[in-house]
Amino acid sequence: MIIVKNLFKRFGDITAVDGISFEISRGESFGFLGPNGAGKSTTINMLAGVLEPDSGSISINGASDPTRSKVRRSLGIAPQALALYEELTGEENIAFFGRLYGLSGRKLRERVDWSLELVGLSERRRHRVKTYSGGMQRRLNLACGMVHDPQVLLLDEPTVGIDPQSRNLIFDKVEQLKSEGRTVLYTTHYMEEAQRLCDRVAIIDLGRILAVDTVDNLISEHGGVSVIEAELAAPPKDPSLLPGTLEGTSLRIETDNAMATVAELTSTGHRFITMRIDRADLEVVFLNLTGRRLRD
Amino acid sequence: MRTVITLALKDLRLLWRDRFGLFWVLAFPLLMALFFGSVFSGGSSSRAAMKIIAVDQAQTESSRLFFARLDSSAALTVVESSPDSARMLVRRGKAVAYVIAHPGFGSLGSMFGGDSASLTVGIDPSRKAEAGYLQGLLTRAWFSLLQDQFFNPSTAREQITSVLDQVEHDSSTSSEQRDVLTSFFGSLHDFMGEMDTGVLAGDSSGETTAITEPKIKIEDVARESMGPRSSWEITFPQALMWALIGCTAAFAISIVTERTRGTLLRLRLAPLRRSQILAGKGLACFLFSVAVCTLLLLLAKLIFQIRTPDLLLLGMAVLACGVCFVGLMMLISVLGKTEQAVGGAGWAILLVMSMTGGGMVPLMAMPKWLLTVGHISPVKWGILALEGAIWRDFSYTEMALPLGVLVGIGMVAFTVGVVVFRRVHG
Repeated sequence: MIIVKNLFKRFGDITAVDGISFEISRGESFGFLGPNGAGKSTTINMLAGVLEPDSGSISINGASDPTRSKVRRSLGIAPQALALYEELTGEENIAFFGRLYGLSGRKLRERVDWSLELVGLSERRRHRVKTYSGGMQRRLNLACGMVHDPQVLLLDEPTVGIDPQSRNLIFDKVEQLKSEGRTVLYTTHYMEEAQRLCDRVAIIDLGRILAVDTVDNLISEHGGVSVIEAELAAPPKDPSLLPGTLEGTSLRIETDNAMATVAELTSTGHRFITMRIDRADLEVVFLNLTGRRLRD
Repeated sequence: MRTVITLALKDLRLLWRDRFGLFWVLAFPLLMALFFGSVFSGGSSSRAAMKIIAVDQAQTESSRLFFARLDSSAALTVVESSPDSARMLVRRGKAVAYVIAHPGFGSLGSMFGGDSASLTVGIDPSRKAEAGYLQGLLTRAWFSLLQDQFFNPSTAREQITSVLDQVEHDSSTSSEQRDVLTSFFGSLHDFMGEMDTGVLAGDSSGETTAITEPKIKIEDVARESMGPRSSWEITFPQALMWALIGCTAAFAISIVTERTRGTLLRLRLAPLRRSQILAGKGLACFLFSVAVCTLLLLLAKLIFQIRTPDLLLLGMAVLACGVCFVGLMMLISVLGKTEQAVGGAGWAILLVMSMTGGGMVPLMAMPKWLLTVGHISPVKWGILALEGAIWRDFSYTEMALPLGVLVGIGMVAFTVGVVVFRRVHG
C-alpha cells in the first residue's frame, strides 16, 4: 500500500512536483502517464528515498521513511537511465546488486537464474553488457531491480528506446509480475502501455496530477464522445428516430457510449453494411485535459 | 563490512577489465622507473672507477709504488688518508673501501712469503662483488710490483743495499746474526750485479715459484647508508608515486562515471548508507594502490636489488601513501560533474604535485626553493617516506613526520570530499 499526500519538490525556480496525492493498493498496477518533464521520475525518486520532498508525506506499507532499509528491500526499481556496469557480464551485474540486498550463496544463484530467465537473457548471461543490444540492456536493467524479489516495483519508463520485441517481452513480464500479486508503479509517456498494463492511470503534467481513474473511466469522463460512422443496409422509415445525422444511408452518430448505442440500433431492427467506431483514447484524454498532445 | 567489500571488489574487477586504465596504473610507472633508472645508472661500459682510500703505514718505496700502480688502474681512484679518516669515509659510503699497507709491506722478506707482507682491506660486507674485484686488482698490482723490483736487478740491488744498511744499524741483532745476514745479502747484491736481466725475464716462471701472494685481510666496515646505492632506489619510489597518481585519477573518475551512467542512483536505491558507498570506493582504491605498490617494490627488490632494510617501515610508508591518495581521490572526484572535468582537474593537480614533490626530478637533485615549495605536495612526503624506508635509513622517529603528514593529508582530503559529495547528492 502506497499513500502519497500533497508532495512538493522544487529545483531552483522549477517546480517539478506540485502537490500531488495518490494511493496505490496492494497488488494494483498504477500508471503515471505524462510527457517528459511532467514530474514522473522525480516522484519515483522521492518514493524510493533518493530525493527528499520539500513537503508532503509518503507511506509505503505503513513506513513513512523510504530510506529505511526494510522499505528499500521491499522496493524493486528499474531507473529510466540504464544503470548497469558495461564491463561486467549480465550475470555479474545481477549478482552484484543481489549481494547489496543481502543475498548470498545458493539463494543468490537461484535469484540470479530467475532474473535472467525472467528477462530472457539466460543465454547471454556470461557476455559483457557492452556487447548487449539496447533492448537487452533495458531488460537487464529490469532484472537487476527484480533480483531481491521485491513486492513493490517502481518502473520508470522501462521501454524507452527499445525494439518492439523487447518491448513486448517487458510487457509480458510486467503482467506476469503483476499477476504474482506485486504492486506496480509504472511511468510512461506511451498511452498504449498505460492502457495495456495499468489498472488505474494518473494523468500528470507540469508536476500536477490532472486526473486519476481506470482507463475506461478516464476516457468516459475526459475523452469526449465516440463517433460511429455506419452504412445502413436500407434507408430507415422514420429518420427522425435515429440519433445523429443521416445522408442517404450514411449514418454518423456522436455518443458517450458507442457500444450501448450500437446495441440499441440493432435491437430496433437496423442493419448495417459497414460500421466504424472511433473511440476516444488516453491521448485524447490528455489532449482534453492539457490542451497539448503527449509527445509535444 | 561485507557490503563495502562487495562494492570494492566490483570496482577492482572493473579496473582490472579496463586494460587501458591498467596501463596507466601499472605499466606506465614501471616503464618510467625502468627508463629513468637506466638513464641515471649508465651503461656497464662507462662504469665509474671505484674510489678507495690508501693508508700507507709501511711508508716504503715499494708501498708508494704499489699504491701508485693501483691509482694508475682505470678501475680505481686512490686517495690517501689516515686510518681513522679512511674508516669514516668507507662507513659513510664516500669510498668503496680502504687499503692499509702495514709496516714491512714491500720488503724483500714480504716478497718471499714473510709474515709482514700484508694488506688490510676495509669494506662493507654487502659489497661482495666489489671486494672480490678489489682483491684481484691488489694481487695484480702486487705481482706487477714484484716483477719490476725483483726482475730488475738494479732495483733489487737498491733494495738489498737498503736492507744491508738496516742490518748494520739494527742494535737488536747480534753480531753473529749480523755477520750471517751481511754475508748473505752481500752475496745476493753481487749476484744481482752480475746477473743477465734477459735470463731472469725470459725464465720468470721458475723464479716466481717461491714468491707468494700478498696476505689480504678483509675487515668488515658496516656502511652507514648515506645515499642511494643505485638509481633504482631513486626511480622506484617515483614510480610508486606515479602508480598512486594513476590509481587516484582512475578511481576519482570512476565515481563520476557511476553518477553519469546511473549506477550511483541504483546504489543509492539499494539498502546502503552513502558512507558505505564511499567506503567501498575508498577501499577499492586503497587495496589497488597497495597492491600495485607492493608489486612494483617486489620487482624492484628481486630484479633491481633495491634495499629493504626494514620491511615494517616500508610497509608503513606504503600504507600511509595509500591512505593519502585515497583521500586525494575522494577530493578530486568532487571537483567536477563530468568525467572530463574531473579527469582534467585531477591530472592537472596531480601533475603539479608530482612536479613540485619530486615525482619527476629526484628530491636530492631539486633546488632548495623547490624543496621548500614541495612541502605542500603529498608526492614529496610519499617519496620521502619510501626513500626513508629504502635508503635514507630513517628511524621510526624520523619516519613519523612523513607518515603523519601523509595520513593527515589523506584524512583531511577524504573528509572534505565526503562533505562535498553529500552536499551534491544530499
